[in-house]
Amino acid sequence: MSQGVMVRRNVHIDLRVNGETQEASFAPYKTLLEVLREDLGLTGTKHGCELGECGACAVLVDGEPQLSCLVLAVECEGRSIETVEGMAKGAELHPLQAAFADLGAAQCGYCTPGILMTAKALLEREPSPTRDRIREAISGNLCRCTGYQQIYEAVEEAARRMKESA
Amino acid sequence: MNDAAFPSGQPGASQWIGKPVRRIEDARLLTGHGRFTDDVPLENAAHAAFLRSPHAHARIRALDVRPALAAPGVISVFTGADVAAEGLKSLPYFALHKRPDGSPMTAPPRMPLTADVARFVGDPVALVVAGTRNQARDAAELIEADWEPLPAAADLEASARSDAPQVWPAAFAPDYGNIAAYYRMGDRDAVAKALAAAKHVVRLRVVNNRVVANPLEPRALAAQYDASSERYTLWCPTQNTHTVRAQMAAVLGIGEARLRVVCTDVGGGFGARGYAYPEHAALLFAARRVGRPVRWLADRSENFLSEVHGRDSIAEAELAIDAGHRFTALRIRALGNVGAYVSNFGAAVPAMSGARAPTGVYAIPLLDHEVRILFTHTGPVDAYRGAGRPEMGYLIERLVSRAAQELGADPVALRLKNLIPAARMPYTNPAGQTYDCGDFERILRGALAAADWEGFPARKAAATRRGRLYGRGIASYIEITGSARLTEAVRLTAAPDGTVTLLSGVQPIGQGIATSFAQIVAQRLGIDPEAIRVVQGDTDIVGSGGGAGGSRGLQVGGSAALAGALALVEAGRLLAAQSLEAAVADIEYREGRFRIAGTDRSIGLFELAAAQPERRIAVEHTETVKGQTWPNGCQVVEVEVDPETGVADVVRHAAVDDFGTVINPLIAEGQVHGGIAQGLGQALMEQSVYDASGQLLTGSFMDYAMPRAELVPALSTRFDESVPTRLNPLGAKGAGEAGCHGAMPALVNAVLDALAERGVTTLDMPLTSERVWRALSTRAA
Ligand code: FES
Ligand code: FES
Repeated sequence: MSQGVMVRRNVHIDLRVNGETQEASFAPYKTLLEVLREDLGLTGTKHGCELGECGACAVLVDGEPQLSCLVLAVECEGRSIETVEGMAKGAELHPLQAAFADLGAAQCGYCTPGILMTAKALLEREPSPTRDRIREAISGNLCRCTGYQQIYEAVEEAARRMKESA
Repeated sequence: MNDAAFPSGQPGASQWIGKPVRRIEDARLLTGHGRFTDDVPLENAAHAAFLRSPHAHARIRALDVRPALAAPGVISVFTGADVAAEGLKSLPYFALHKRPDGSPMTAPPRMPLTADVARFVGDPVALVVAGTRNQARDAAELIEADWEPLPAAADLEASARSDAPQVWPAAFAPDYGNIAAYYRMGDRDAVAKALAAAKHVVRLRVVNNRVVANPLEPRALAAQYDASSERYTLWCPTQNTHTVRAQMAAVLGIGEARLRVVCTDVGGGFGARGYAYPEHAALLFAARRVGRPVRWLADRSENFLSEVHGRDSIAEAELAIDAGHRFTALRIRALGNVGAYVSNFGAAVPAMSGARAPTGVYAIPLLDHEVRILFTHTGPVDAYRGAGRPEMGYLIERLVSRAAQELGADPVALRLKNLIPAARMPYTNPAGQTYDCGDFERILRGALAAADWEGFPARKAAATRRGRLYGRGIASYIEITGSARLTEAVRLTAAPDGTVTLLSGVQPIGQGIATSFAQIVAQRLGIDPEAIRVVQGDTDIVGSGGGAGGSRGLQVGGSAALAGALALVEAGRLLAAQSLEAAVADIEYREGRFRIAGTDRSIGLFELAAAQPERRIAVEHTETVKGQTWPNGCQVVEVEVDPETGVADVVRHAAVDDFGTVINPLIAEGQVHGGIAQGLGQALMEQSVYDASGQLLTGSFMDYAMPRAELVPALSTRFDESVPTRLNPLGAKGAGEAGCHGAMPALVNAVLDALAERGVTTLDMPLTSERVWRALSTRAA
């Protein structure tokens, strides 16, 4: 029979999130978004549509931006998952976070984790992206508050700072 | 800023005001530690799902909930009959207007769950509570509903007909159709005479498209009931915790003290979250009945169905113009859609703040304005960024550009001729409203300069060589801001740990208001903004408040913060006089220290706090500002249209805004940018569509186009601070909604300018490529 039984049959796997391996036990149909938020207590990653249309849930899986609402958590065993909670090193903000603060790139902050992760992957691939490249990279991330301009400026500023300190 | 607020002799007088201080909110929001409703941890919480009407209008013959109750994990199922049996009341709303015959609005009930007849697709009729969200959702689908579909009035104009299906029979009037409320202002006979005598009359009909606020955070709720204290707690994304508390207390029939409403972070408001919804009450009810916390998280399509929509009006206007091209009278006839129920401001918005400035920045002596606010079988419509003002501004600015075209006049020259001159301030418009200050010509000229208006012909020539149509549009705007609630209370506490805590009932909704408050208090106290803690969003901690809405937060709440800081200094002076054994009159305050004038004997604010028996200095202060303020500005847009595809690209944009004193330019700029993006979104792509039977066709981000990164052009925004208002001590005018207001008419005027050479004279928003292409093809044929 049905679901009632299925629900109880959890999977137990190790997930590597922000460099730490954690044991997790959850229903096999759960998305990575749900497991991060509900089972691992990492609520920084947001749900905006749960259909792959808004980018609020973006995280990095093996360095690539992925929409965690579309990824089954069981598929992430043995892969490296990065979320917004892992960006700062202690009290020291990631250059993207610092530039977002300096240039007003977050307003309500709801889209921000997804945009930060997407931009992080971009800068790791392309240290000096043009504005058009930045636009393209975050075109899957909806932001209802900012009009995007301060986000572009912040990503450009972060790129500049990261190159200087490299 | 006004000198009285920050005396220029004050040390560090401009240390924090006007500076792009980093937002204090960002420490948590950028690191994933924000606390949005669905982030709140709750032990043992159950999950809720709603069953919603699939019909726009249908009688519920029967609801069999037994299959749902038998489903795995289900704890309870509630229906409209259950909430009625409990004695829950209808949701309150704001009755600003009357019916056409002068009688009060009839109040159609809006219960937490609808029991008898559903009136829009998405009307909630049952609530399932289960162990997990998936269990609740699956079970909701098992409820067997026996529907008797009824004819629906889904279209606004059709709903005004005498033969329209009736949404609320008690509200129906044959001459007006499904009328909810009626507004009329001005001098009908004088305007009729002026129109008859006018050398030119310019006519225009515009549709203000229905849009969805779509905060990125979906609707979410968490409700808890504590049986031992008989108290409820509700976590919700809201612009106004105190309004939600008052409304929910009324629905539940309890005293406000028995309900705590908490909102730490909210993923955007934009007008859609300033009040309670039926679901709020249903969750509170369910939490008490099941004896466990209950939470609910909408998915995006449920958000489209159940959160209020915005705009949705149709207006016809006539402008009388004399031989010298002066405007002499304005007549407006408008219809506004309130949806199936009256949401909080819903029946007010079509003739609320916007109706106070229908003549915009122009000296038009005569007005005749009528608005009919109608029910339809669609989801409720309520405030959306600007709440009636952008609709009004869109109409007048489209009308003026149309007039220029028909008269063969230059659109700038025609505007300059009719602008209210700065010398006529304060100016009372024909709706009886007084603009306290403003220099509209200066702002308009500033925008022309920022936009390089003179360089347009060369850019157009270049675009023409590439086979593109090219146009420019200009729009001035004036806002009335501050909301009807011009009072805020604050509490400030200086503590021995070197902090000053400010309690405010203005709600943070992403607009950086906590930072702006910290800047104001830091400025007045001469201390670092990092020493200021701002506490908001919890009715158990903050006694009262008007929330965020109507661009009121800074001008009302910021003025209260400033006055509160002054009160703290005064309280400190009394205590310092005792402590230093001196006369109060001899105590002066500078940069965190009280000093006996002319001596080196002093005590620090925080040291003084530590010396008090209660180890703090606390003051409470209530401030009422002198009036609503009138921010204004001007936007210029240039567009390039591809005649083959109909795609309109915004290629240049410039805005100049008068917000009076700007506290944090980075934050103010962000507000303007975000507003412009929403305005361009409404003008180019956003549209909420119901079909003739009342089915919502745009229920996801796939069907409802939101402005994405590639849409928004480089924005140039500038603030002109030369005309601060005297109506509040900061000199500030509201900045939250202005960008949206100016963007729509500027963009549409630009597209129509580009299409003029092809004979297209009018188009309604959204200017999708299809709509533009069709207009071009029809003309060419
Ligand atoms: S929540 Fe995953 S894309 Fe919207
Ligand atoms: S900051 Fe609010 S959605 Fe982007």
